[in-house]
Amino acid sequence: MNRRSHPTATRADQARIAVRVCVAILSLAFATSVAAQDRADAVEDSSPLRWGADQEGGAPFLFGDPADITRMTGFEVDLAAELQREIGRPVEFRQAQWDLLPSMLLAGKIDLVMNGYERTPDRLAVMDSSLPYYVYALQLLVNDQGPIDSWERLKQGQADGSPWRLGVLTGSAAEDYLRDFQRQGGAITYASYDGVTDAMREVETGKLDATLQDTPVASFYSRDFPRLRPVGDPVAPGHYVIYVRRGEETLLRAINRAIVSLHRDGTLRRICERYGIWTDEQGSLAAIIDQAEFFGVVASNASAERVDQAAGQAASQPAGPPTESSAGIPDAAKLLGYAQLLGGAALLTISLAVVSFPLAVAIGVLVAVGRLYGTPWLRRPLGWYVEFLRGTPLMLQLYFIFYLLPEVGINIPAIPTAILGLAINYSAYESEIYRAGLQAVPRGQWEAALSLGMSRAQTLRRIVLPQAFKVVIPPMVNDFIALFKDTSVCSVVTIVELTKRFSILSRSNVADLVILMGFTALLYLAMSYPMSVLARRIERRLEGEARP
Amino acid sequence: MICVRDLHKSHGGQEVLRGIDLDVREGEVAAIIGPSGGGKSTFLRCLNGLEPFHRGQVTIGDAVLGPGIDERRDRRLLQQVRRQVGFVFQQFNLFPHLSVLENCIEAPMRVDGRSEGEATELAMSLLKRVGLDGFAKASPKNLSGGQQQRVAIARALCMRPACILLDEPTSALDPVMADEVLRVIADLADGKQTMIVVTHAMGLARRVHGRVHLFAEGRSIEQGSPEELFGNPQHPITRNFLEALHKESKS
Repeated sequence: MNRRSHPTATRADQARIAVRVCVAILSLAFATSVAAQDRADAVEDSSPLRWGADQEGGAPFLFGDPADITRMTGFEVDLAAELQREIGRPVEFRQAQWDLLPSMLLAGKIDLVMNGYERTPDRLAVMDSSLPYYVYALQLLVNDQGPIDSWERLKQGQADGSPWRLGVLTGSAAEDYLRDFQRQGGAITYASYDGVTDAMREVETGKLDATLQDTPVASFYSRDFPRLRPVGDPVAPGHYVIYVRRGEETLLRAINRAIVSLHRDGTLRRICERYGIWTDEQGSLAAIIDQAEFFGVVASNASAERVDQAAGQAASQPAGPPTESSAGIPDAAKLLGYAQLLGGAALLTISLAVVSFPLAVAIGVLVAVGRLYGTPWLRRPLGWYVEFLRGTPLMLQLYFIFYLLPEVGINIPAIPTAILGLAINYSAYESEIYRAGLQAVPRGQWEAALSLGMSRAQTLRRIVLPQAFKVVIPPMVNDFIALFKDTSVCSVVTIVELTKRFSILSRSNVADLVILMGFTALLYLAMSYPMSVLARRIERRLEGEARP
Repeated sequence: MICVRDLHKSHGGQEVLRGIDLDVREGEVAAIIGPSGGGKSTFLRCLNGLEPFHRGQVTIGDAVLGPGIDERRDRRLLQQVRRQVGFVFQQFNLFPHLSVLENCIEAPMRVDGRSEGEATELAMSLLKRVGLDGFAKASPKNLSGGQQQRVAIARALCMRPACILLDEPTSALDPVMADEVLRVIADLADGKQTMIVVTHAMGLARRVHGRVHLFAEGRSIEQGSPEELFGNPQHPITRNFLEALHKESKS
C-alpha cells in the first residue's frame, strides 16, 4: 500500500513554536478534557493497545463483514485478535485515515500501526518496525476488453502512439513504481486516487487502461471487479510490518515474539488462507523468522535490517482469485446493516453539530462584544483571532489540535477535538455575524438604556443583544447547516461520521454503491431539510414583525 | 437643582457650545428654544453625560460632571447622575423587543433593584397618568408616535427622577399627537416636576412656569419669563426667530 513521509524532527520543532502560542488559550478553556500524555511503556502493562488502521477501502486487511456489515472482519482484524492473545493485552481498534496513521502514532493517539504498511526506509527513520507478517508485490490490472497483455506492451504505448492512462493509489509504492517506469521511458500517464478501489472502478468502466495494486488487494477485489485481468508477474515485492513508536522495545519485542509464534504454529498461514491471500512467497518469511529467532527475537531496527538481509527478499506468484462472487442485490440483512451503520454515523454527525454550534455562538458573541466594546488591547488580538480562524481551513485546525498539541503534552481525544475545532472555527464566523447584528441596533437604544441608569453591561445584555439576536437568526441558521455539513471534515481526526461511513462502506461494498449513496444523501437531507424549513419560518416571522 | 457653568464643547474643530450658564430650581421648568444648529440638543445631552464637554461644570443635585467625561471610566458618577435625571428623546427610543410595561419596569428592577411587583405597580400608576394603562401588554411597534412618546415619558418617570430632560419631544409627531404629549408635559409641570425642555412648540414654552432660554450659535443669548421673552424680546436674534416662527404658524 502507500507510503507517506512524516513530520521530521525539524518540522516538529517549527510546529512546536507555533503550537506554544495557542496552547495557553486552549489549555485554559479545555483543561478538563485534556488528558496528560504518558508515553512511557510500562513493562508489565495490561492496558489496551490502540491499533490504528483505516477501514476505508480496507479489504482484505479490515472491512465490514459481508454477512454482518456492522461487524468488522479482515486479515488484520484476525491478526490483531491473535496478537491480543499472544501479548496478553487487549488490542483496541482505532479508525484513522490511512496516510495519517504515522502522525497518530507519533502523537500518542495509537500504540501501533498495522494496516498493510510496508517496510520503507523513510518510515524506519521515524518509527520502529516489527518483523514482517506478509510479503506483498505489485500487480498490474487491466480491463479485460483492453489490448494490454504485457508490461512490454505497456511500455510501448497505444497503437496510435498516445500513452496508456493508468490510475494508482495516492502516495503508494505503486505510484512510486509507475513514476520510475514513466521516467525510464514507459509510455504512460497516471492519475492518483485517494481510495484503493477508485482506480479499479475506473479501469472497469474504461476511463483508465490499467492500474497497479498490492497483490492482496488485487486478489481480494477481483470478485468485485470481474472485468479486471491481471497481467504479467507481480513486481517490486516488499514486506508489511507493524510500526510502533521509537524506543518502545518491550512492546516491539512482544509483538515480534507473537509474530514468530503465529508463524511457527501456522496461525498466520491459516489467517491468510481465510482471506484468500496466502501465496507461495509467504514461505520466504520463514527464513526471516528463523534469523530473527537466531538473534533472540529482535527488537531494534538495526538488527531487523540484518534479518532482512539474511533472509533476502523473495516474491513471485500471487494467489489466484479466491471465493465466490458476492455481487448482486444485497439481501435484507445487509441492507439493515447499512441502515444501522449509516444511521449511527448520522447520529454522530448531528450530535457533533448540536454540541459544537452553541459553543461557537457563545464564543462568537463574546468575541464580537470584545471587538466592538472592548479596550483597544483586547480588540486587536480578537481581530487576529477572527482573521486567523477564517483564513485557515477547518481541516488544518483540527489537524493542529489533534496531532500537534500532543507534542506539548496536550492530548485531546477525537470527539472533544472535533467539537472544539468546529466550535472555534465557527466562532469566527458567528462573531462577524453578531458584530453586524450588534451594529444594526440603533445608537438610540444604547442612549435610552444608559439614560435610565443601566450599566453598559446591562444595556448590552438586556437591550442590545436581544435585538441583535433577531437580526442574526437567519444567517445563524445558515451557518448551522454549513457546520452540520462541515462535520464531515472531522474524519481527519479519526471520527467516522456519515460521510466517512459512506466512504468506508462504498469502498468495501462496491456493488452497492448506488444504494449506499442514495441512503447517505437521504439521511443528510432528512437532517438538513427541517433546518431549512425552520430558517424560512423564522425569516417569515421576522419579516412579518418588520411590517406591522 | 441644576446648575451649569461656562459649558464649552467643540466637535470636529467647531465650537458647538461656547460658554453656557443655566440654572434650574426645583419644581421649575426651563424651556430652551432657538434656531436649529444652535446647540440646544447638544447642551441637553451634556447634562446627563451622553456627550462629553471640554470646559465648564454641570452640577445636578449632589453630583458634579466635569470636562472629558468617559462612559467607561466614570460609570459610577454617570449612573449617579442618570438615576436623578430622566431623558426623553425626539425619536422615543422605546425598546422594541419589550412590551410597554416591560419598557417601564426594566430600569427600576435592574438599576434600583425593585421587585417586579413593586416596579409593576409603580409603572401601572405612571402609565395611567399618561393615559396608557390599557396598553401595558402592547408592543411599542403597535402604538402611534404620540402614544410611544407618552410611554417614553412614563418610562423616565418610573425611575423617580428629580429632573427630566426632554429633547424636542414633539418634533417627530403630527399636531394631534403632539398635543397629547404636550398635555402630559403640562400636567407634569403642574405637578412641580423639574424639567428642561428643548422645544419648537411655542405653546409649551409659553405655558411653563419657569424661564425660557433662547440658544443660538452655541450661546444662551437671552432668557426670561415667557411674558418677558415673547412679549418684549431684547436681542435681535430673538426678535428674528420669534418673527419667523410667527410667520410660519400663520402660513
